[in-house]
Amino acid sequence: MQRKKPWWQNAGLRIGIALVMLVLLGGAATGVVITQKAPQQPIEFPHNFHVGTGIPCAYCHSGAETGPVAGLPSIETCWGCHQQLRTNTPRLAKLAEYGSTNTPIPWVPVFIQPDFVHFNHRPHVAAGLECKTCHGDTAGQTVAEPIPGQNMGWCLDCHYKMAPENFTRLSDCATCHY
Amino acid sequence: MSEKVEAKKWGMVVDLDLCTGCQACVTACAMENNIPYTGEDETAYGRGLHWIRIQRYWKGEYPEVSPTHQPVMCQQCGHAPCEPVCPVYASVHSEEEQINVQVYNRCVGTRYCANNCPYISRTFNWFDYPHPVPESYSLNPDVTVRRRGVMEKCTFCVQRIRHAVDTAQAEGREIEDGEVMTACQQACPTGAIIFGDLSKKESAVSQAARSQRSFRLLEELGTEPKVVYLKGGGNYGG
Ligand code: HEC
Ligand code: HEC
Ligand code: HEC
Ligand code: HEC
Ligand code: HEC
Repeated sequence: MQRKKPWWQNAGLRIGIALVMLVLLGGAATGVVITQKAPQQPIEFPHNFHVGTGIPCAYCHSGAETGPVAGLPSIETCWGCHQQLRTNTPRLAKLAEYGSTNTPIPWVPVFIQPDFVHFNHRPHVAAGLECKTCHGDTAGQTVAEPIPGQNMGWCLDCHYKMAPENFTRLSDCATCHY
Repeated sequence: MSEKVEAKKWGMVVDLDLCTGCQACVTACAMENNIPYTGEDETAYGRGLHWIRIQRYWKGEYPEVSPTHQPVMCQQCGHAPCEPVCPVYASVHSEEEQINVQVYNRCVGTRYCANNCPYISRTFNWFDYPHPVPESYSLNPDVTVRRRGVMEKCTFCVQRIRHAVDTAQAEGREIEDGEVMTACQQACPTGAIIFGDLSKKESAVSQAARSQRSFRLLEELGTEPKVVYLKGGGNYGG
């Protein structure tokens, strides 16, 4: 005589659960992949090329040494050089379009903290940190690529390592959240 | 009584003899700190959002009455009743600035802190108030735009403190007295609000706090408020 299987050994149920898990996991994996990829930019701006020609970061990101926000270059900054250069590649043609009409390029943010975090570039640059400590090898990248795991633990870890004597200040909620 | 200025760091003096109750501080505070306008109806339900309120008292018998006003904001207690009751540690004491900070992203909205605040100086965000386009241009980028369901309160304009400290650091000097001005102080037409460092004996705020006229709200509770009120006899203009 065949014993009746308990409900949790029901094949249909198990397959159903497996399918649901698969969909959820797949969704999560897709989400993770999408957020870790460099977003689509209006123009694929080649950092490697420009930095390679010897333009300092501060020429385009002028706020990093003096203020909280590094800032992105205005179209005038690009056009100042590119007005005199060829426009016969697809990327440069797009740039010429923005430049000749003086419309700002709608860059998509790559490194971005939530609104409730107030990051400040100035003390970090003043403390002698290089851009690549936090932004990776931008100088070698075609488009700026995001770095995963830049969360609160990352900030605090480095603060503890670099300045343990100031850690009361550097771990104070009012330093970053207000 | 007025001698024991044991409080460290940031403090405020409000001279009630100079206050006219004009509400300029309330407006300035709302502009600086992205406090939305809730409207008449919600305010009538007790859901108004403001980090300062002007308390009004009447002196004398009708018809010989005259009003007195008292702006009440978060007193930034040294020994704050709101802090120990928060179940998620969103209401914490800033060791650095010696103020009481509310970490909005940590807050889950139990409203326990507000219920335990003897000064009723915390307000709760009951709804999301939209900031449509022209209005959103007036938002202060240095202050988080809070979502619905978080508690908020006066921060002593900590964004201005951070900014001034950062500027001073960049220039390699100590922060000067009067360098940090809170929004309410800046807006006050009679100069009734003084802000500064209470730990420095010679700062304007310490000198004012040592006045004969000084008192603190509900001092007997032992909350060690950082806001000192001055009240002598008079009103503004007599
Ligand atoms: C200091 C001068 C200078 C500035 C400023 C500058 N560029 Fe360039 N850029 C160059 C030079 C030189 C080239 C090489 C042009 C060539 O290949 O003919 C170049 C190449 C490029 C290319 C690659 C063209 C291709 O398809 O091979 C792009 C895209 C580009 N620039 C975009 C920008 C943008 C966007 C800005 C503004 C943020 C900018 N550049 C600012 C000098 C500059
Ligand atoms: C010629 C101008 C120029 C120079 C020089 C330059 N950048 Fe950029 N940078 C840009 C532009 C334009 C963008 C926006 C496009 C993008 O994100 O790929 C950008 C984006 C970035 C971003 C991502 C910002 C975001 O959107 O969150 C980082 C980080 C960055 N740059 C770092 C650097 C560093 C580090 C250097 C020096 C090694 C440097 N850049 C030099 C023009 C420049
Ligand atoms: C301590 C780590 C750190 C260092 C060092 C650092 N950055 Fe950043 N950077 C960040 C963080 C975090 C953000 C995101 C800030 C935000 O969203 O508020 C950011 C954002 C940016 C952005 C885009 C947004 C903005 O602020 O305009 C640019 C461009 C940038 N950084 C450039 C630079 C350059 C150039 C340097 C070197 C001079 C540099 N950064 C050094 C951490 C760092
Ligand atoms: C690679 C190391 C490093 C990382 C990562 C880092 N910091 Fe810092 N941070 C420092 C150093 C070093 C200082 C300067 C310490 C000092 O002044 O004594 C500093 C200072 C600061 C200050 C200024 C404090 C003051 O003195 O007023 C703020 C604000 C700050 N960091 C925020 C952040 C935030 C937010 C993040 C994460 C998004 C972050 N930091 C990530 C190294 C780091
Ligand atoms: C050095 C800067 C720094 C300090 C100091 C700091 N935080 Fe944060 N905090 C951050 C950053 C950056 C994030 C964003 C993390 C992310 O994007 O995942 C964050 C995120 C958070 C979050 C998560 C919010 C969310 O929705 O993911 C909470 C909660 C939080 N912080 C609470 C606190 C509290 C409480 C304190 C004080 C004890 C504090 N933080 C001190 C930088 C800081």
